[in-house]
Amino acid sequence: MTGTIRRSFTALTMASAMVALAACSPSSPSSSSGSQGDTKNVTLSVWSWRTEDVAAYTTIFAVYEKNHPGTKVDFKAFKNTEYNLILTTGLAGSGGPDVAQVRSYGQLQPSIASKSLLPLDGVVDLSSWDANVVKSAKGKVDGKLYAVPLAQQTLQMFYNKDVFAKYGLTPPTTWAEFMAINTKLKAAGVTPMAVGAKDSWTLPMLHQVLAAPRFGASAFETAVTTGKKTFTDPDWVASLDVVKQLKPFMPDSVVGVAYTDAQILFTSGKAAMFPGGSFELGFFQKQNPGLKLGVFQVPAPQGSPAMEPTTTGYADGAFGISAKSHAQAASKELVTWMATKEFGQLVADNVKQLSAVPGVSYSDPLLKEMKENYTKNPTPYLLLVDFRYGAPSGTEVLGTGVQELLMGKKTAAVVSADLQTGVSQWFKPGK
Amino acid sequence: MFVAPALLLFGVFVLYPMGSALSYAFFSWQGTSRGAFVGFENFVALFTQEPFTTQLPRAFGHNIAFFVGTMLIQNTLGLGIAVLLHRRARTRRMLQTLYAMPYLVSPIVIGYLWTLLLSPTFGPVNALLRQVGLKSWALPWLGDPTTALWVVVLVSAWQWVGFPVLLYGAALGGVPEELSEAALVDGASHWQTFRSIVFPLLVPAIGTVSILTFIFAMEAFALPYALGGSTGNPAGATDFISLLFYRTAFENGSTNAIGSSSAIATLLFVVIFGGAVVATKVLRRHQVRVGA
Repeated sequence: MTGTIRRSFTALTMASAMVALAACSPSSPSSSSGSQGDTKNVTLSVWSWRTEDVAAYTTIFAVYEKNHPGTKVDFKAFKNTEYNLILTTGLAGSGGPDVAQVRSYGQLQPSIASKSLLPLDGVVDLSSWDANVVKSAKGKVDGKLYAVPLAQQTLQMFYNKDVFAKYGLTPPTTWAEFMAINTKLKAAGVTPMAVGAKDSWTLPMLHQVLAAPRFGASAFETAVTTGKKTFTDPDWVASLDVVKQLKPFMPDSVVGVAYTDAQILFTSGKAAMFPGGSFELGFFQKQNPGLKLGVFQVPAPQGSPAMEPTTTGYADGAFGISAKSHAQAASKELVTWMATKEFGQLVADNVKQLSAVPGVSYSDPLLKEMKENYTKNPTPYLLLVDFRYGAPSGTEVLGTGVQELLMGKKTAAVVSADLQTGVSQWFKPGK
Repeated sequence: MFVAPALLLFGVFVLYPMGSALSYAFFSWQGTSRGAFVGFENFVALFTQEPFTTQLPRAFGHNIAFFVGTMLIQNTLGLGIAVLLHRRARTRRMLQTLYAMPYLVSPIVIGYLWTLLLSPTFGPVNALLRQVGLKSWALPWLGDPTTALWVVVLVSAWQWVGFPVLLYGAALGGVPEELSEAALVDGASHWQTFRSIVFPLLVPAIGTVSILTFIFAMEAFALPYALGGSTGNPAGATDFISLLFYRTAFENGSTNAIGSSSAIATLLFVVIFGGAVVATKVLRRHQVRVGA
């Protein structure tokens, strides 16, 4: 009896161990030559991770098909969490997309390095666009443009107008007012700010919303990317201390509170403010249609190098052309259209996102306000825009660091030093 | 001859991808295009470069703690339940099924379920603790690095305990009744009978459970991911090797992601395979000794 069991057991052991390894292997690149197709009677396959926007894109591409007879757009959306892998396979082998929605900044680089995307310099002209946004679609090494940015996100403070009205509060214009609001709300038994620090990815965003002016916002970006300053700079350390200082105004045991809990605290009216991205808007409105929402920029903390409040922004997704596309001419025509105001306006109206195209107008008053705030005082989401091009990424190190800071396990100076050590593994100033 | 079709499928779908993953670890990568052969450079980087020098040992330690924790619970609690069930002929089937129920559910679902249950803001667990007067016990279970890893261990054990119960149930069924009866007639107590007769015959099953738990613990991904996210929140307290692999492969902007992550996968394979082979050897020696 034991003989058989033993043998089959050994086989089982080996099999499970092998599956663990086999699951990890990406598909190997295969070569096939792309050829120039004609623009008449062509079907372009467009891939995206926005399964929730299929209806919106069908509407959008119907407009394109109407104005471009002979071109059909076949829009396919895949599950967000599996998209990177599906796209990598699609771009490397046959049967992939002609035009694909691609990630921004650092996460775009592997596709560029493997020469999976066509350079678009000379095809589309984005010279009038926000430089922060255009950066998201460029190759870090060669500086060429590889995609047309689609959407933009801004980071700011959301607030519940009813709760503010109940306690006679108005959006703050100075740091002292901001602190007074927090103190008053806490005394009244309302959680001032809904923060879900258990999910570390939200924390570099929290830091941007609360303290971007404290480290110097855009000026600091220039200094740190050119090597004039590092993350051990006293202003950067002080900006982390601002986050720590505001901990009493976050939910109790904040590092145990999940991001989704924070969302519910805010939409249910148990918390008065929510530091978050413009991408929250749709969820908030759906979750509680009666919620009266407002947004404001957190005033500059005392001692900030720049006293102007800022709104943080970054590009979120872009469309690029597969180097293996058989219909490159038609694909180029489509992405050129994606850089027009017509497309931007359609995205703004149908997808309810901030478009990356300049000059688009918004019917939703909050989207409009967020965009205006950003246009007036823009600053990049520093760790995403500049420090996600290697391992460990700046957002990962700071996310964990802010958790340690909030738990009192590390000081702001130590967290800053960790960040500097982490990104130094791959980041060389001036490149 | 008759194994050929199976062997072919195994070769195409398991051996080939495995071999290529192994080979990927020895090259430098530019996105998905393979660059120069670099020998063991990717492996050396795992032990000399940040973030691996801090994260890899930490994650490995968590995997080991996870293994030891789940093994202890499964072998004690699982065996205990199986022995108790073995004596209840009438309800055994039904209870075995009930105990096995949680592992029919995806670990991702289980993870989210427990995240909700243990939430410090809305979770019923802490609300209950407060109501019965144990306010100081109402902790942010998943938000405190000292408790988070043990929550992962307990939730995992809770989900999988039905599996050893089934295995031990089958093993207990294979112990000849006559042996126990003879021992009882000779005046041995129930405990003596269990310790000297039944338990030694269960050792192969205990070994099997332990080795399967080892493999399971070393490659754990879904549950830690659902409970602590890809960065092992809070502050890396629930980081596992598979999560480090996932971050390296899919989340960082490094163009050599395939090289580094394949090196991690290969290392993990070597550890699992090596550990399982050694454990199987030890187990076999024991079986020869008791003549089972």
